[in-house]
Amino acid sequence: MASPVRSKSMATVRVKRFNPDSDAKPYMQEFQVPNLQGTTLLDALHRIKHEQDGSLTFRRSCRHAICGSCAMNVNGRNILVCKTPLQGQLDRKGVVTIKPLPYLPIIKDLVVDRSTFWNEYLRVKPWLVPPATSPEREFRMSPEEVAALHNAETCIMCGACYSACQVVALNKKYIGPHALLKSFLRVLDPRDTIPGERLAEVGTDEGVFRCHTIFNCIDACPKNLNPTQAIETLRRLAQKRTAFEAARVERQRTIAGPLAAEPTPGAEGGVRHVP
Amino acid sequence: MSNSETIVHDVIVVGAGLAGTWAALVCGRRGVKDVGVISKVHPLRSHSGAAQGGIAAALSNVRAVAGTGPRGPLEAVPPGSEPADSWESHMFDTIKGSDWLGDQDSIEIMVKDAIDIVYEYEHMGCVFSRLTDGRIAQRRFGGHSAPRANYAADWTGHVLLHTIHEQALRHGVKFYSEWYAKGLIVEDGICRGIVAMDILTGELHTLRAKAVLFGTGGYGRAYEITSNAHANTGDGVAIAYEAGVPLMDMEFVQFHPTGLYKHGILMSEACRGEGGYLLNSRGERFMRQYASDKMELAPRDLVSRSEQTEINQGRGIGPDGKGIHLDLRHLGRERILERLPQVRDLSIDFVGVDPIDGLVPIQPTAHYSMGGIPTDKDGQVIMDASGTPLVGFFSAGECACVSVHGANRLGTNSLLDASVFGRRAGEAMAQRVLDGARLEPVSGDPTEGHRREIQNMLERGGDESAETIAGELKATMTENCGIFRNAQGLKKALKAVRALQVRFKDARVMDKSRRFNTDLLGALETRHLLTFSEVIIAGALAREESRGAHWRTDFPQRDDQNWLKHTLAVKRADGEGPKLSFKSVFIDWQRYPPQVRKY
Repeated sequence: MASPVRSKSMATVRVKRFNPDSDAKPYMQEFQVPNLQGTTLLDALHRIKHEQDGSLTFRRSCRHAICGSCAMNVNGRNILVCKTPLQGQLDRKGVVTIKPLPYLPIIKDLVVDRSTFWNEYLRVKPWLVPPATSPEREFRMSPEEVAALHNAETCIMCGACYSACQVVALNKKYIGPHALLKSFLRVLDPRDTIPGERLAEVGTDEGVFRCHTIFNCIDACPKNLNPTQAIETLRRLAQKRTAFEAARVERQRTIAGPLAAEPTPGAEGGVRHVP
Repeated sequence: MSNSETIVHDVIVVGAGLAGTWAALVCGRRGVKDVGVISKVHPLRSHSGAAQGGIAAALSNVRAVAGTGPRGPLEAVPPGSEPADSWESHMFDTIKGSDWLGDQDSIEIMVKDAIDIVYEYEHMGCVFSRLTDGRIAQRRFGGHSAPRANYAADWTGHVLLHTIHEQALRHGVKFYSEWYAKGLIVEDGICRGIVAMDILTGELHTLRAKAVLFGTGGYGRAYEITSNAHANTGDGVAIAYEAGVPLMDMEFVQFHPTGLYKHGILMSEACRGEGGYLLNSRGERFMRQYASDKMELAPRDLVSRSEQTEINQGRGIGPDGKGIHLDLRHLGRERILERLPQVRDLSIDFVGVDPIDGLVPIQPTAHYSMGGIPTDKDGQVIMDASGTPLVGFFSAGECACVSVHGANRLGTNSLLDASVFGRRAGEAMAQRVLDGARLEPVSGDPTEGHRREIQNMLERGGDESAETIAGELKATMTENCGIFRNAQGLKKALKAVRALQVRFKDARVMDKSRRFNTDLLGALETRHLLTFSEVIIAGALAREESRGAHWRTDFPQRDDQNWLKHTLAVKRADGEGPKLSFKSVFIDWQRYPPQVRKY
C-alpha cells in the first residue's frame, strides 16, 4: 500500500489499524500525503480516508479543539489531532506515527472504547446539586470564585489525560484525572450543597490518594489544564472536610444576595475571569 | 443484519445539543421517566458546545455609560436604579435583525423566557463570568441595542452544554451515544418513532415512542468555508423532508463575518462586542461606509456582505485577496486574556497570529441556518401554512424554524432559541405523555427499506467517492448560493445539484464492514446534503427580493408587497424537486410594523 518514495513535499503517516471483526491483531500501515502548509493531522487523516482508504476510522467533529472527539496518540503523546499541524510532528525522515489512545480497548483503528472513562465521570456525580430553593435572580458568585473554577470548567472530556495516566493504566478502579477535575469543579463551586459527600467519594484510595503526581495528565491536556493541582486541592480539602462543609453552609446563607464589593463605576463591574 | 431490536421509550429525542437535551431534561423533571436521547456523536461533542460569545437576555446587570454612544464603555447597573434593558428592546432588536421575517408572537415568547432561562442555567451550575457584586457579566453583541450577551468568557456554549447534559443525567435521561437516526416512522399522520443505526455494530433498530423530537442542529457543511462541525450535515431536516414534512425558509443561510481565513473556524462576535475593528487591505475601518452608527456591531448579514463587497472590489487581504483583518490589538493583553482566551488560542493554533500583537486574517464563514422544520410555539411540527400538526413529532433548535430569526439571526439568540424552545417542546411532549398518549402501533418492519438502501450502498461498484460529490456540492453552493446570489447562478446550482444527486446513486463506499463504519455514515450524510441543498437553492431562486441573509444582486430591494412571507418546501410525490408554497408572517402591525432596516 505504502509508497517507498519519501520526498519533502510528501509526509508519511503511519497509522495503527485494527478491526476486531476481521483482524487477528493490530498492525501498522503507512500512507503518503502531501505536506502542505497549514495541514493539520486531522486534514491528513481526512485526506487518507477520502482519497486512499475509506475504511480508515477515527472520530472527529468540531475540528477546533472544543468538542473533545479527536484525542489520539501521536509519536507517543496524547494530543488533539485537529489543532496540531502535521509539519511539527514529522521526524527527520518525514514520518509521523498515529495510534489510538493507549490503555483503552480499540473499537476500530483510532476509535477507542471510553466506557470506563465515562463511568468514572458518572461516579463523581458531575452535576451541581444546588440549594433547594433558588433565588428569583442569580446566585451571587465573586469573580474570584469563578476564577478558581477556571482550571476545570474548560475541560472538554477528550480523554487525553485519562489515557496518559500511569495509575489508570495499572488500576482500573482509579477515578482518573478527568473525573477528579470535574469533582473539583463541583466541590469548589459555592452553589453546590454536597461538597462533603463529594469529598468522601473522592478522598479515598481509589480517588485523590491514588494519584502518584506523575504529571502525565498536565502534559497531555490540550486545554492546558492542571488536573494534578485540582487533585492536590481535593486532597487538602478531604482532610478538613467538616470545616469545609461548614464554611459552605455559611457561604450559602448569603449566596442569593449581593456581595460586599460594590461595582466599580465605569469599569464594567470589574469582570475578571482568568486567575 | 439480523439482530434488529425494537426499543420503546415514552419520548425519543434525536440530537443531544442544547435543544434536545433541554427537551429530555424537562420530560425527566416532569415525571416522564422513560426518555431516550440518541446522538451520532457523544452528547458532549454536540455543536452547541462550540458557541462562544454569549446567550441573550435583558437582565439589566450592565449598561452603557451615558452619552458614550453605541461603542462606548460599559458599567454595572447600580443597585436600585431603573432597569437599563427590557425584553421589549430585545424583541425589537430581534425583529429588526430578522428583517421583519421573524414571527413576532414567537419572538415575544423567546425574549420574555430569556431572562428566566439564563437564571435557570445559573441555578443549575453554569459558570458565568461575573461582576464584582456577583451578578452575571454582560457584553455587547451585533444588532443588540443594549449589552445583553450573558457570557462565560468565550466558551459560553461549552458551559451551557456541559451543564444541561449533567442535569439530564441527574434526572435519569438515557443517552444512546453514537447512534445515527436513519428515518422517521409516520403512518396515518402520526409520528410513531424512528429508525436508527447503532454505529458501533452497524445494526438498524426501530425505536418507538409517544413523542419524537428532532434537535439535530444546523447544516453549514453544505459550504466550503464553514464554522460548523463535521457533524453538521443537516440529517434531521433531510430525514423530515424525505418523510413529507415541509421545510421552511431554507434560503436563509447566515454567514458569520469572522471565520478564520481559509479555515472558517469561528472567531466569536465577542471580538467585535469587546471593541474589535475590521480593516481592509488599506487599513481602513470600512464598516463606516456600510453602517455608520453601529459600525462593526451591525448585524451579521450586513457585516458579511460589507466584507464580501470589500473583497470583491479588490480591498481584501491575504495571498488571494479573499480575507479581511480583524484587529484586537487596542483591546490590550489583559482584556484579551480575560474575555477572549479561546479565540486567542484558535488564532495562534490555526493561523499563527497572536491577536495581542497581530492582525487576525478572517473571512465570512457559513454559520447558521435560519430555516428548518416548521413548528408552532411549543415545538409541535406543522405540515402546512394553516398549522396542521404532525401528531407526535416535535422539533427545536437550529434544525427547527419557529421562526424567531426570520431572515437573519442576531448573535447570542441561537443558544437562547435552542434553550427556550427546547424547554417548551419538552413541556409539550411531557404533557402529551402525561395526558395518556398511546404508543401507536408500527406496521411491518420499518428498518427494512433502510437496510436495503444501505446494502445497496455497500455493494455498488462506482469509482467515485461520496466525498468527491460532497466537495463539488460545496463548491457549487459557495459560488452560487452564498452571500450574493442571482438567478443565473442559482439555476446553474440547481442543475448541478440534480446532476450530483444522480451521480450519488453510483457513489462507492470503500469500507464494507459493519462495525463503526464512518465511510458509510459519510455517504449517508452526503445524501442529506444533496437533499436539503436543493431546497435551499429552490427557495433562493423563487424569492425575488433581498432580505436579511438572502441577497439577490438582481433583486437588491426588500419587497414587502410580495415577499413578506415564509417559504414552505415540500417534496413532490414524483421526487422531482420541492414544491413551494407560502405562509404568512405573524406581525403586530400596531407595535412593530416593518420599517427601513438601517444600522
